[in-house]
This record gives sequence, structure tokens and C-alpha cells, in this order.
Amino acid sequence: MEKNVSRATPDPTPTWRHPSVVANHKARTFRSLVFAGLCVACVLAVMIPLGDMLYMFAYRGIQVISIARLTGNPISATPGIGNAITGTAILTALSGAMAIPLGILGGVYMAEFSKGGRFSEALRFCADVLAGVPSIVLGYVCFLAFVVYFNFGYSAMAASIALAIVMFPYVFRTTEIAIRRVPESIKEGAIALGSTKTTMINRLVLRFAMPGILTGVLLALGISLSETAPLLYTANFANYNPTSLFHSQLGYLTGVIYLFYTSNLSFDVQLSYLATFVLIMIVVALNVVARLGLKRFSKV
Amino acid sequence: MMNERRETQGAVAASAQGFAPKAPGEMMRLVDFSAYYGSLEVLKHINLSILQNKVTVFMGPSGCGKSTLVRTLNRMNDSVPGFKTSGKVLLQGEDIYGPEVDPVLLKMRVGMVFQKPNPFPISIYDNVAFGPKIHKMTKSRSEMDAIVKDSLQKAALWEEVKDRLGKSAWGLSGGQQQRLCIARALAVRPEVLLMDEPASALDPGSTAKIEELMVELKENYTVVLVTHNMQQAARVGTNVAFLYKGDLVEFGPAADVFENPKSPLTEKYIRGSL
Amino acid sequence: MSPKQKSSRIDKIYGTATALLSSSAFLFLFLILGVLLIFSYPSFAVNGFKFFVSSVWNVPTNNAIVVVNGFKTLQGAEYGMTVFFFGTLLTSLLALLMGVPLGLGIAIFLSQLAPRRLASPISFLVELLAGIPSVIYGLWGFIVLGPVLLKEVEPAMAKYLGFIPGLHGPAYSSGLLASGVILAIMIVPIIASISRDVMAQTPTELKEGGTALGLTNWEVTRKIVIPYAKTGIVGSIILGLGRALGETMAVAMVSNGATFLPKTLYYPINSIAAFLAVNFDGAFEDPTKMFVYSLGELALVLLAITMLVNVAARLLVRKGFFGGGAEHVIQV
Repeated sequence: MEKNVSRATPDPTPTWRHPSVVANHKARTFRSLVFAGLCVACVLAVMIPLGDMLYMFAYRGIQVISIARLTGNPISATPGIGNAITGTAILTALSGAMAIPLGILGGVYMAEFSKGGRFSEALRFCADVLAGVPSIVLGYVCFLAFVVYFNFGYSAMAASIALAIVMFPYVFRTTEIAIRRVPESIKEGAIALGSTKTTMINRLVLRFAMPGILTGVLLALGISLSETAPLLYTANFANYNPTSLFHSQLGYLTGVIYLFYTSNLSFDVQLSYLATFVLIMIVVALNVVARLGLKRFSKV
Repeated sequence: MMNERRETQGAVAASAQGFAPKAPGEMMRLVDFSAYYGSLEVLKHINLSILQNKVTVFMGPSGCGKSTLVRTLNRMNDSVPGFKTSGKVLLQGEDIYGPEVDPVLLKMRVGMVFQKPNPFPISIYDNVAFGPKIHKMTKSRSEMDAIVKDSLQKAALWEEVKDRLGKSAWGLSGGQQQRLCIARALAVRPEVLLMDEPASALDPGSTAKIEELMVELKENYTVVLVTHNMQQAARVGTNVAFLYKGDLVEFGPAADVFENPKSPLTEKYIRGSL
Repeated sequence: MSPKQKSSRIDKIYGTATALLSSSAFLFLFLILGVLLIFSYPSFAVNGFKFFVSSVWNVPTNNAIVVVNGFKTLQGAEYGMTVFFFGTLLTSLLALLMGVPLGLGIAIFLSQLAPRRLASPISFLVELLAGIPSVIYGLWGFIVLGPVLLKEVEPAMAKYLGFIPGLHGPAYSSGLLASGVILAIMIVPIIASISRDVMAQTPTELKEGGTALGLTNWEVTRKIVIPYAKTGIVGSIILGLGRALGETMAVAMVSNGATFLPKTLYYPINSIAAFLAVNFDGAFEDPTKMFVYSLGELALVLLAITMLVNVAARLLVRKGFFGGGAEHVIQV
């Protein structure tokens, strides 16, 4: 070990009292405050539109809300968004039924069975690219493929397929991440007890990863609820409930908002607000559930 | 001779600012100092004196408050929510918890080295130059070079890294990284150097080097060492403070504390039966 | 069959089944690319290179039908994408200009400045912003933002900032600015929440090392936290960009649907996505379907842009272009 060659000569003035250091320090303290203030300003700047949106649509929505309006459709005696609510429910359920199992099982494959080779690399790449595809492009493609070529017509089925493709990458990715978070020791323990990999995954891993998976599912459902463009292309829009999953148009909340907001009929515009209000409530509820659920299960 | 000069100047500076006079050779003093996390009292009415150019050791079992105590000396605990203090901590006679003292500037006077080496993911040179650059201590590149070289020499690392100052600090070994952190702390020319279990994450060889370094460092700095290693405390320490559950149980020269402990608690701890 | 053989058979089946199901990702992408390529080919054959450089999109539906390069189209129909292409780029650029500082500011606030009790509800609100549907943004933009920008903000900007090129002249429309602002608000949550997560992962010992040297809070953030989180932050920005490029409804509702390129900030605008959404109905009035095929080519261009951004980002992150080791790379 080298010997300390130079003995420090103590500075005549301790450095912290150097006038330049002190002056510089004043400037630094000021800068720190300024930037902290700027960050707070950023938060406020973004909270203002949010607040305005929530307030405005709550206000206008509550003015119009009533049972009749929530159950009727735009052409009944009391114009309502009942068919839109039903339509949104149908689309969410159908697309969820397709995308969620597909996404979860895909995530299971990626986390448990894949060997990290080119196949799974390509899969991951594909899923990430899919996540980035604009939904309008998906709508256009599904229109040409399903509405026209496969002759589903404007239908809940064509629209649900489009929505399912939108949802799939999210469920796929979040499931994989959630499963990978399950500690190896638990998985090894099960295998050591003689369990098959299948049972281990289905009974143990999925249960552990459920909070993360559910968050992904809720996120995907939220996305599906919020889509408009692909639905316009694949389901068109109707003022009544669909009679079949094929060749039958249907209404949906986002469609009400988009198609009625410039209407000359005043109650159409009001329906637009009402649909906005209802949709916001659903989204807020979803977010709250996701947050609470995550908090409760994070203690694992 | 040099110590006297510093002492006189310190006293002159202190009295010029109207501070309380301090005992000769004393760098810091805790006066009836207590610390709280919320309503939990973690340090209870501590009175002790930290002497200039000596190594003062804080010792005790886990949870005794020694880490909290050393962190109050440079106000690192300020950011902990609910942290409160009562009593005084005097640095050269001035209460560091007083209203005129800026916590940021304080850290130029009281530096700290941590248990786990924490060099920044930048070059060795930039690590050492980090402090002086922020505080604008130098005006030219050559001044900075001098500070970096001086600090690395004082930390007994210069010879090992002088040819690769531009390489990333994360490429160094654990012991080297810790010495780099010491160099980095020394670069802002502190008066006091706090070392919170600096060798506990290192292998025995590096630990020995750090201990040698501590003995050297006290020539120019006041060192406060926290350790759970009694042999290290005996080897390196001038004065030893034994803490237990927030109380200062015993304080005195190392030889006295280890060979003739006054308190039965201290004796139990030394024997390992606490 | 022994239990052991049986069990590994189940596992094999499960593994293969899940592999097959995952392959639907390939199927979907193949479907998208395939359909777009097939249905944009006629447009490519008829419009050729002009499609990429012309700013005229005009479909005179009453004209006669002619045949060009083997495909039917209307006489005098012109299909040029530059208005929409540059509109997409311009609105996304504006969105980044405003959204990145805002998002980072929020991320810094949430990870470094805010006490825990405040950080949690604000994080929730930021995530709520992310969940609000695009149409609702559009509706708010149409009712509130557009008029405010047009009547108050733009005249003030023109008056005080008119010396900056592009910010001069009469407040003709709020299309471009409103689109930029709305997109910025929409990408803020993405940037903010990912950046916040990455910043929060900065090891405490690194930050403490900075504080112990006498750094102010802001200096710790700027010189230690942000460099550490650099890769993740850039990743979040690229994700935000991807979202802005493909955003449809909000832009459609506030952009005022321009058919010409803007000369100043106070012009209407149009984006590829918005144009696709709004013209879907109208495209069927063209009996030759060339309008539909041209929309397909537009969709292909948009897909190409978003794919390019995505892939480039991933490559750059992997190659460490944005600094930082792979240790703290997020899933871009």
C-alpha cells in the first residue's frame, strides 16, 4: 500500500467560506427552488384540463341523466343511449373473450415454455409492433378482411375481432411480465414435490401472478372501451340493438359521442354528453379498481 | 505546529462570529442532543465531544442508534419524514441545527463515506471532481487536476488509477471503489469525515487497507467512524463511544473502554454476550 | 403409461398449445401487412411516385371512369399525401415539444419531490388521464380548447411572439395548435408514469452519495437521477411519439380537417389518421374504389412510420445509443 506522500497543507480559509463558493451556493439554492416550482407547475398544468374535463362532462351529463335516457335508444320517444351501452357491453365482452385467453396463454408460453430462441424473439417483436399499430389502421384492415372479404358485414363480430387485436399485445406482455415476477423458488418447490409443469402453472403460478395479469386485463379492457375509429369501420353505427353477431350493426358509446356531437338536433348533442359522462364513470371505476386491487395484492 | 495554527484560526474565526467558545482540540460537540422519528426517541440526551484530528468511534449492537447519530452530524437525516431533534450539535462552536446554517454548505465541512461503496457511473476523474465542480471550487482545468490528484493520493488510490482516470469507476474493485468514494469526499476539503461502516462490505485485504488509511487520514481530518467490528475500533480508534438503544452508555479513550469498561453493558457487549 | 411419461406428455401438449396460440401474433401482423399491401397496390400502380410528393387530394366523383396502368380510376382524380404526412409529423412534433417537458416535470415531482401522501393520488390522476378515451379528449378540445386557443391564446401569441417565424399573422384557425396541445396532454401520462418508475429505481445510495457531497435536491435529480434513468426516459418519449403518430379521433375533432399545408401555427391541419377516419364514408362514393385503395396506401404509410419509430427505438436502446447499461432498460 502506497504511503501518503503529500501531507495536506490546511487551506488558510476553509473552502466552504470562500466568497465565490457562498455566492455560487446562493445561486444554486435559488435554482433548486425554481426548478421545484416548475415541476409543480407542470403537475398543475396537466391537472387543469383533467379537472375541467371531468367537471364539464359530469355537469352536463348529470343534467340529462335519467333511467329513460339510459335505456332508450336515440330514436325512441325519450332519446337515450341504452342501445349504445348494450353495444359497448357486447363488444367488450366478445373482444375480451377472444383476446384475454389468447393473451394470457401466450404470456404463459413466453414466460414458462419458451427457450429464448428466435421463435420467441420474433414473437415478442411482433407483439410489440402490434401494440404500436394505430387502431384506425386495424379498423381499415378488419373492414377489408372481415366485413368485406369474409362477408361478416358490418357486425359485432368484425368489430370485436378488431378490438381483440388491439387488446392482445397488452394482455400478452403484461401476463409475461407478471409471471416472470413469480419467484423461481416457488416454481422449483412445486416441481420438486412431483407436480407437472402444467399443474404448477395453472394452480400456482397463475394465482401468484393474478394481480399483475388482472391489471393487464383491466388495462386492455379500458383500451377496448375507448376505441372509436376501428368500430366505425367495422360495425358502422346503429340506433338499435343488434339482432345477430353478423350482418347487424350496433351502437356503442364512443360512437354516440363522435357522431352526435355536431348534430343539429339538440337532444342528440345531449346524448353525446351523456355518453361521455357514462364512459368517464366507467373508466374512473376501472382505474380505481385496478389501483385498489394492485395495492391489496402488492403485499404478496 | 500545524494543528495549533488551525486551532487558533478556528478559534479566531469562531469568536469573530460570536460563537460559543469551544474546548481546545475539540471539533464537534453534542450537547444534550436527542433525535426522534416521529414520537419514537432514537437518541437520548447524548453528550459527547469529537476531538480534532482524532478518530472517534461509535459502537454498539444493531439498532442502538449509531448510524442515526453519525448521520445527524452532517444533517443527512433531514430528509427522513418526521425527523426531529432537540439539543445542540456544535461544529467549531456553531450549532449546525441553528437557523443560520445551510445544510448544503454544511456538507462541505462534514463529508461522509457509506457502508456500500457508491461511486457514480462515470469516470474516476469525474467522480472525484464532482464535488469541486458543483461548488465551483476551481477556476481552471489545472486546478481541478491538482485537486483530483491530491484527493486520490490522500485516499491511497492515486498510484493504482493514475493511468486510467478516464475509465468508468464501476470497473474498479470493491476496495478501490471505496477508496474512490473517500477521495471524492475529501475533494471538497471537509474538516470532518464521517465513515459509516466503510469496510463492512469489503474483503479482509481491502478492510486492512481502509483501516490503514483511516489512521493516516486523522493527521489532516477529524474522523468519526461507525463500526460493529470491535477489533477495528480498538486498532483505529482514539476515543470510543458505546451506544445502546439510543443512550450513550460509555465514552472514553479506546484503551480504557475496552480494557476497563465502566458499565456492565459495555462489558457484556465486548464479551459478545449482549 | 407411467405417471412420469404421462406428466411430461401433458406438459408437451400445454407447451405446444400455448406456442400455437402465441403465434396468433404472427397471424395478426401478417394479416395487417397482407391486407394493406394487397389493397394499396392498385393505388401505387395508378398514382405512382406522385402519391408521395403531391399535396393535392381531390376525388371528383361525378367524372368519367378511365383506366390507368390496368386499374380503373376517376378522370382527374388526384391522390397526394403530403398534407396528411406533414400534418402527422407536425402535430406529433408539437406534442413532443410540449408533452416531454410536462411529462418529465411530473415524473420528477412524483419521484423526487412529492411526499408519499401526495404522490399517490396524483399518480392516480395521471393514470386516469391515460385512460380517458380519445373521443372525449376530442370533444373537450372541440368545446373548450379550440375556442380558447382561437380567441385568446393565438391572438396574444401573434401579438407578443410574432417575431418568431411561424407565429406571426392572423389567428386564422386553432387546428394545428389545438391538435398539438391535445396530443401533448395525451402523451404526458405515458412519459410521466414510465419516467417516474425508472427514476424511482435510482439506487438510494447513489442519491445519498450526491447529497453527502453537498448537492441541492435539483442537482441530485439533474446530475444523478436523470442520467441513471436516461434510457427509460427516452424509451417513454418514443412510446409517446408512437401514440401521437397514430392518434385519430381527438385530432379529427379539433384539427378542422385541412386540405392544404399550413403556413403558420394558426392554420388548420390534418393527419393521416384523422383523414382516414373522416373519409371512410366518402370513400365509397367512388365507384372505381380507387379512393379506398388510396386510403389503404395512406394507412400503409402510417403503419410504416409507426413501425419505423418502434423498431428504431428498440434497436437504439439495445445498442446503448441512449447510454446506460442494459440493467435498467425498460420494455420498450
